[in-house]
Amino acid sequence: MTKRIDIKNLSVDMCERLLRDLERAKRPVLEATKCTLDNSLYNPKVGYLTPGDKKVQTELNVSSVQKMSRAIFILEILLRNLDVGATNTKREIYYIAKGEIKHNAALKPLDFADQNESDEIIDFICEMLECYREDVNCFANDRGGQTYSQQLVVHETMPDGTKAIIDLSRLGTAPFQPKNRPQDLKLRAKKKIDFCVIVESEGTANTLVNSGFTKRHSCILLGAQGVPSNAVRGWTKLIQDQLDVPCYFFGDLDAYTMQNIFRTLKAGSAGSLIRNSDFSAPEVRFLGVLPEDIKKYDLPDYAVKENDASESRALKKARDALNNDPFFKDKRNKGVADILKWLIVHKRRCEQQAYFSVNPRDPLMPEKIILDKIKNKNFV
Amino acid sequence: MAKALQEITSASSAEYFSKNLQQVGFSSYTKALLTTIKEAVDNALDACEEAGILPEVSVVVERLGEAAAKGADKIRVKVEDNGPGLSVDDVVKVFGEYLASSKFGRGRCTRGQQGIGISAVTTWAQLTNARGVVVITKTAKMRQAVQCLVEVDIKHNKGVLKDKKTVEWDRPNGLSCEFVIDARIQLQGEGGVLVYLNGTSLVNPHLTLRYKILDQEWVEMTRVSEELPLIPPATEPHPHTMKLGEFMAHSHLFGRVKVGAWLKKGFSRISDGVLNELAPHGVKKNILEKSVDAATEDDFKNVFSALQKVKLMAPSTKSVLAIGEESLAKSIQRVGAVDFFSVVSRKPTICDFKPVLVETAVARLSDRGEKGEEETVSLLRFANRVPLQFDKAACAMTKAVQSVNWRTYGLNQPKESLPNGPYIIAISVVSPFIKFKNASKETVDASDELVEEIRRAMIQAGQRLSKHIRREEKEADLEMKRRHIEQFGPILVDGCCRIVKAGKGRREKALEGLAKLLGREAHLAEKELKEAVEHSEKALAELQEKTGILPSSEDTEVGATRRVTRRIMEPEQLSLTGMEQPKKAAKKKKR
Ligand SMILES: Nc1ncnc2c1ncn2[C@@H]1O[C@H](COP(=O)(O)OP(=O)(O)OP(=O)(O)O)[C@@H](O)[C@H]1O
Ligand SMILES: [Mg+2]
Repeated sequence: MTKRIDIKNLSVDMCERLLRDLERAKRPVLEATKCTLDNSLYNPKVGYLTPGDKKVQTELNVSSVQKMSRAIFILEILLRNLDVGATNTKREIYYIAKGEIKHNAALKPLDFADQNESDEIIDFICEMLECYREDVNCFANDRGGQTYSQQLVVHETMPDGTKAIIDLSRLGTAPFQPKNRPQDLKLRAKKKIDFCVIVESEGTANTLVNSGFTKRHSCILLGAQGVPSNAVRGWTKLIQDQLDVPCYFFGDLDAYTMQNIFRTLKAGSAGSLIRNSDFSAPEVRFLGVLPEDIKKYDLPDYAVKENDASESRALKKARDALNNDPFFKDKRNKGVADILKWLIVHKRRCEQQAYFSVNPRDPLMPEKIILDKIKNKNFV
Repeated sequence: MAKALQEITSASSAEYFSKNLQQVGFSSYTKALLTTIKEAVDNALDACEEAGILPEVSVVVERLGEAAAKGADKIRVKVEDNGPGLSVDDVVKVFGEYLASSKFGRGRCTRGQQGIGISAVTTWAQLTNARGVVVITKTAKMRQAVQCLVEVDIKHNKGVLKDKKTVEWDRPNGLSCEFVIDARIQLQGEGGVLVYLNGTSLVNPHLTLRYKILDQEWVEMTRVSEELPLIPPATEPHPHTMKLGEFMAHSHLFGRVKVGAWLKKGFSRISDGVLNELAPHGVKKNILEKSVDAATEDDFKNVFSALQKVKLMAPSTKSVLAIGEESLAKSIQRVGAVDFFSVVSRKPTICDFKPVLVETAVARLSDRGEKGEEETVSLLRFANRVPLQFDKAACAMTKAVQSVNWRTYGLNQPKESLPNGPYIIAISVVSPFIKFKNASKETVDASDELVEEIRRAMIQAGQRLSKHIRREEKEADLEMKRRHIEQFGPILVDGCCRIVKAGKGRREKALEGLAKLLGREAHLAEKELKEAVEHSEKALAELQEKTGILPSSEDTEVGATRRVTRRIMEPEQLSLTGMEQPKKAAKKKKR
């Protein structure tokens, strides 16, 4: 179980510091961890990206006084939410703020012209308090993480103390979907679970379940739906830690998937340095598509379109990553780094769905290949 | 004058022009009105300047009713001047015949050049309203003013005189012409009548212009200069500026002279020395001895191509006329309330072998409000002091303005476009040989050399202007800083106090501290502002030295006089009052 951040205390501390400086006519400076790659450390024993000691500073001056007073104003709204256990989306916070301003003429100068302006302030607060938006009860839409299993049981304790037990085998064709802050859930296996597969494509995860994957194997299957949301990241971490099952990621062979999807799932991201401990699953392995699979299974692949802006950007980023990203630089992750190198050299890409071409008449072929790869330790 | 008029020549072209009026400014009803006013006013100004009279011109535009044609009104246009007037015989020629001009083919910086303008207007009136032009004229010699109706005999290119009678008139000399035409009245924007009239007064500081448009009151723009522009002597064209066709046509203007004599007389920078240099380039002596009438096309070709190979002196720049920075500075303030401005009068120079003078005035209007910031500047183009109002895109002046990076001077500018903001950019190009892109004389040909010359003028004007803009930015910056302190300080401190549950004492103390902190910054901003003010003041002093005037008039509050006196708070004095006010509101908030 992970520790919950005490937003209330952090906020009081921050405001106390502000006030004390002001009373002494000293310029207050707020400090936050710099969340960028150049401030990221990677220790293979820890397994995820952790912050270095670089800080970003926001000092109070005539230009920042508007932003700061807006931040304190929104913080009050969020603290009120935390007090009563209420939650809101960013958009709702925008309207709540507008409502407050409407009813108090003195606050007029704070008014937000559009939601971007209030979103920016919410992000600023989280940076200052070094917390996730979810910690201040501000939730984004849940995305991804639809989970299927015949063996998994989830125990949930609601904010009001009531408890729920969800047996995933009882949900019929419906998946279980974790929330953006899944750390409070308790997992239990009815029967020993052999492995967990995280499928990059939501649709392909569905196809596998429909054809009986979870019926034939004692496993957990979940869809990532592209770049993993906080829900997917925290949830995978829970499965890894609480059930102690090997986790495999099944996705495309391309630079984007390696860096943005797999790396984030396994070791977190630079943008979320301060929270990677709860939102990364360092034991996840990359099951495929592996470069050697193309030959082995005669998979259709494609040349990277160099004139496609996003594809060439991903390749350029891959070159940077090999030089600067502590995750890819560490020898423990040589396997994934080698794949990146292969991608840069060969400029080819191959999609996870390509396994459906191996035997087009056999719908179970992809399932067979996945199991084969697990059994033969054909992953990195 | 009388002698000049003897030289008025005419050709049988009335039929051609009456069928092609769209080529000479009658391609739309809006344009028809503008062309009518323009031709008459241009003529009045040319005539006054030629006769050494300070011009006083009045323009009346009146709507008589709907026209027979769809989308047009029946409009009366009357233009009166205090110029030398014309004899009745000349009135008939000038208003009733094409190509009857005293200015034809001469290299002078006059507005009119061809002798088409005013007869085309008469034709338009005749075609749309079955009546020519009513003229009143009085020369100093005439005992009484004469009024008459002139029409164009289109078949024979002859003026027809009707209803001649003597009348009483209020001036010793002058000319008045009145047309009833089908047209449409547009006041502002491209093709706007007011844009034309304001523009004309801008580049003619010595003009007193009165006008009455529709039901609006009479407007009078009094002259700001008592000096007539010095009209430089005519210059002959430089041979390197001509195409073969023009070259041959040019030969007809000088009677039956020898080719050699024609070359010396008809062009600038051709001397006996130059003629001697033609031989090595294949021109036989006997060609130069031939009469121009006897010369064949091959002869002309021969001489022409040889001339292009000979090195000639660049033409003299003495023939160009300048408005001058002083007059421009005064004149720019006639167009409206002006915050500040800059003027640049370049030295005459040679572009494409033609003498050219570029002058510019850039002014910021103070009455446009917030909206003005997003609108494109108004670019006023002038060629030989005539406003150009159509087809600006391809014009040398437009291109030059677009090529300047105005952002460095503090203006907004979308990529490769004219800048934005409540500014007027007036550019005047004066040259005895302006090359237009088309027959309706609306677009100055954008040669690289000319665009570069205009661009230089724009850069100079921009640099001068930026001193004032900087200063305004600093003023706005200080104002923003002050406002921020006053507005956000209390909210910030109150919020913090509520979160840490601090009492009144702490709040007061924190507010004091905040005021001190931010006040220091405001103080810095004040210092920067002071420096900017000094810069702009210096620029104004330079302007005054050069032009003898300062941009100011009673109701416009211009330039340096503006906002300088604003109270500058000492940092100690900064207070964050207004803090008490939220109390009542805070209760409401608990709702
Ligand atoms: N208001 C006037 N007062 C005195 N003389 C005039 C007036 N209007 C015209 N003239 C004389 O009549 C001549 C012919 O004018 P017209 O407008 O036909 O030709 P232009 O001005 O020479 O050339 P453009 O066709 O370019 O206007 C002028 O050159 C001028 O000498
Ligand atoms: Mg004319």
